[in-house]
Amino acid sequence: MTQGTPSQGQSVSGAELRLDQVVKRYPGQKVPAVQSLSLTIPAGEIVAFVGPSGCGKTTSLKMINRLIEPTSGTILIDGNDIRQESATSLRRKIGYVIQGGSLFPHMTVATNVGVVPKMLGWDAARIAERTDELLDLVGLDPDRYRDRYPRELSGGQQQRVGVARGLAADPPVILMDEPFGAVDPITRQRLQDELISIQRELGKTIVCVTHDIDEAIKLGDRILILQEGARIAQYDTPENILAAPANDFVADFVGAGSTLKQLSLTRVRSLDLNQPTTARVGEEMGPVLARAEAAGDDEVVILDDRDRPVAWPWLRQMRNKTKVIGEPRENLVTLDEAATLNDALDTMLTAAHSKAIVTGDRDRYLGVLDFETVTEHMRSAEREAAENVENAEKAESAESIEDPAPTGEAGHG
Amino acid sequence: MAESTPVAVDEESGPPEGKRGARVITREMVIMLTVPPVLVAIVFGAFVWWRQTAELDSVEANQLRWSELRTLMWEHVQLTVVAAIIVVLVAVPLGIMLTRRQFRAAVPFVVGIANAGQAAPSVGLIVLLFLWLDGGFWTAIWALSLYGILPVLRNTIVGIEGVDPTLVEAGRGIGMTGWMTLFKIELPLSIPVIMAGVRTSLVLIAGTASLACFINAGGLGEVLQTGISLFRFSLMVTGAVLIALLALLIEWLGRVLELVTRPKGI
Amino acid sequence: MWEFIRERWDLIGYNALQHANLVFQAVLVATVVAVALAVVVNKFRFLDPVANTLSAIGLTIPSFALVGLLLPLTKIGAMTAFICVAFYAALPILRNAVVGFSQVDETLIESARGMGMTELGILLRVRLPLAWPVIHAGVRTSVQMSMGVAAIAAYVLGPGLGGYIFTGLSQAGGANAVNYAVVGTVGIVIVALIADLLMLLLGRATISKGIRT
Repeated sequence: MTQGTPSQGQSVSGAELRLDQVVKRYPGQKVPAVQSLSLTIPAGEIVAFVGPSGCGKTTSLKMINRLIEPTSGTILIDGNDIRQESATSLRRKIGYVIQGGSLFPHMTVATNVGVVPKMLGWDAARIAERTDELLDLVGLDPDRYRDRYPRELSGGQQQRVGVARGLAADPPVILMDEPFGAVDPITRQRLQDELISIQRELGKTIVCVTHDIDEAIKLGDRILILQEGARIAQYDTPENILAAPANDFVADFVGAGSTLKQLSLTRVRSLDLNQPTTARVGEEMGPVLARAEAAGDDEVVILDDRDRPVAWPWLRQMRNKTKVIGEPRENLVTLDEAATLNDALDTMLTAAHSKAIVTGDRDRYLGVLDFETVTEHMRSAEREAAENVENAEKAESAESIEDPAPTGEAGHG
Repeated sequence: MAESTPVAVDEESGPPEGKRGARVITREMVIMLTVPPVLVAIVFGAFVWWRQTAELDSVEANQLRWSELRTLMWEHVQLTVVAAIIVVLVAVPLGIMLTRRQFRAAVPFVVGIANAGQAAPSVGLIVLLFLWLDGGFWTAIWALSLYGILPVLRNTIVGIEGVDPTLVEAGRGIGMTGWMTLFKIELPLSIPVIMAGVRTSLVLIAGTASLACFINAGGLGEVLQTGISLFRFSLMVTGAVLIALLALLIEWLGRVLELVTRPKGI
Repeated sequence: MWEFIRERWDLIGYNALQHANLVFQAVLVATVVAVALAVVVNKFRFLDPVANTLSAIGLTIPSFALVGLLLPLTKIGAMTAFICVAFYAALPILRNAVVGFSQVDETLIESARGMGMTELGILLRVRLPLAWPVIHAGVRTSVQMSMGVAAIAAYVLGPGLGGYIFTGLSQAGGANAVNYAVVGTVGIVIVALIADLLMLLLGRATISKGIRT
């Protein structure tokens, strides 16, 4: 049943999730909220549930951790019926992340993250160690943040802690309900990048409910598009859904600009990155300047001892100093390698900078992306996308979807 | 002294962040406007029936004469109403004054004193005034007025300070004088809050008036007091029930007053 | 005056402690009962107006009247005083606890449930700590109010400082009448202030820093 392992042969710690003819009918309701949903989610994949509001996507999600009990049908995790054990012990093995992080305001960050491990009876030292590890994973310095209270964090930071909490007991399956719905677009993009980066490392099975098709395209290895009553409109990879929507509902839902959305399928990692001069915090300035001048660079990327970029000064800003110094990492805007090209453009435009630093796992430095590379790639991608759509139309002898004609619009700016 | 006010009769002070200027008619308000009068009517009916049918000895019969009860109840009402009027006449202007710019610095001081005074037990206040001024109606009025002043004072200040300052500014902007903004904007908008304080005071005063009997100022407490000293259950329960019914009725009147004084549109 | 106090210092101190003790015990019992009731009300929301109405009516009934209603059942003495004080103490706590529980964000509860907390765990680790600031405010109000109720209950020979007030009353005209009344009244104010301070400290110690205002 495992339909192809996720990209790049990463390690998989997730478990296969299977829904078999799952029905949810509320008392006094004529039409069931969920009419017979059957679905297999391969281990280690992110599946995004999307659909209009009231389509039953959240109900379907909550049946997986039994916050809502199905009227009939079975749900299997790793082949085991979820009704074999009590709801509470089941839930402790399934991560749950909801909008805004939903942190307990009276508990510190560390206590929040440690809630499930504590219920599972871990000892204090192990919980503390795990908490620090997770905070680091989601990009929060444990020493700085572990004893803070949620109200002392920004929305994005709270959401990061929410993700850390969902991962705390290393559950094979994680459920996310509109996880990034409560933050601003820039923060959302970063959080999405980070989630992809974390997933690359951990290989969980993640079910993510969203109403935002762009988010689904970006995050999902697969997308489940649901119609009212949680009927499956289409369940496929983002590429296939965009290239060949199964029906008018899907075509409408993914939207008129769906060919342009293909651009968000391209990740930064597939482009060529520049490798300008780098330096390490604490290095003598002399040799650094020499290296940069030899390479003809105006700027130097400064890394900390864990290869994370911390600053990106001009050469002239560095000349009067004797040693390389860093700055708080938070001040530097970076792109994850999983960011889409649209994200990359957004970031560059917001930062008013024609280049952006690209990072990989745990914010490790990978290189620098420049504006020309992005626009160049987008132009060729648009041409390709247009051809794809035409082919798909021919193949299905489709009754006219939408005029695909991509314009140069995405590249302006 | 701390900022807490030991006035528990004030529903509006329930949640700590409760500074609610404009309120709609809540379900609780509807219930409190309908249930207590029905309750009072039923219990009073039961009392009348018991009074007419019970076999009472001469002492009880004498104490529970209808004319006697009527007199005591009238005294109780007088004590409550006169004290409440004095409270409103003193506390509202004082509250208004304390919200004027030149006196604002005195607010914590005055409210602090009022709070500390509220922590004094009502019996103590009554007895002390009795020992100082001797007994009677006006001594009781002194005690009741002093005791009832805080809720009205506090709610007047809170109510006026809760008025959106941009509205006051707008009033000034169209040429209103200080007095005009006070009477046309600040007071009408804070009436609901002030009236809630008045109701709280009324309840407090009606309850404390039951202690007026200790200082020969009459009221329904007398029946209860006699009942306790003679240890006659019939007198005790009669006194207690009538005091409670009157308090409920006065609370209800306070709510009605709150409803009818509320400016339209709030 | 000072001489009066000095001569009776031990007894006054004892009665002050008795007063505080009566209030403490009554409020403690009231808190447990009121919070338990509020948990039930929070579970069955249609009870919400019932609880509010009962607590509003209860608070309207003067304490002296309740003393009269209780006497036929509980006789003169400490028991009547205790029940009377506990009754009034429970009402503000009940009201605040109902409000406090209802203000707890439902998504937090669902989040806790989704993480596998049991209902008891949710009550103890999420609902109660989050509602506690509001409940605590109710308890604090209760303590203050109970000081005065206890004074009235002294009329039927309840323990504490209220007795001095009634002694002063009965000795009106006598040499020590004012002394007695002042000691009773001021003594209760002082006990109330100390109790309020302790409640403030209790709040500091028990309300999570993450939700303190």
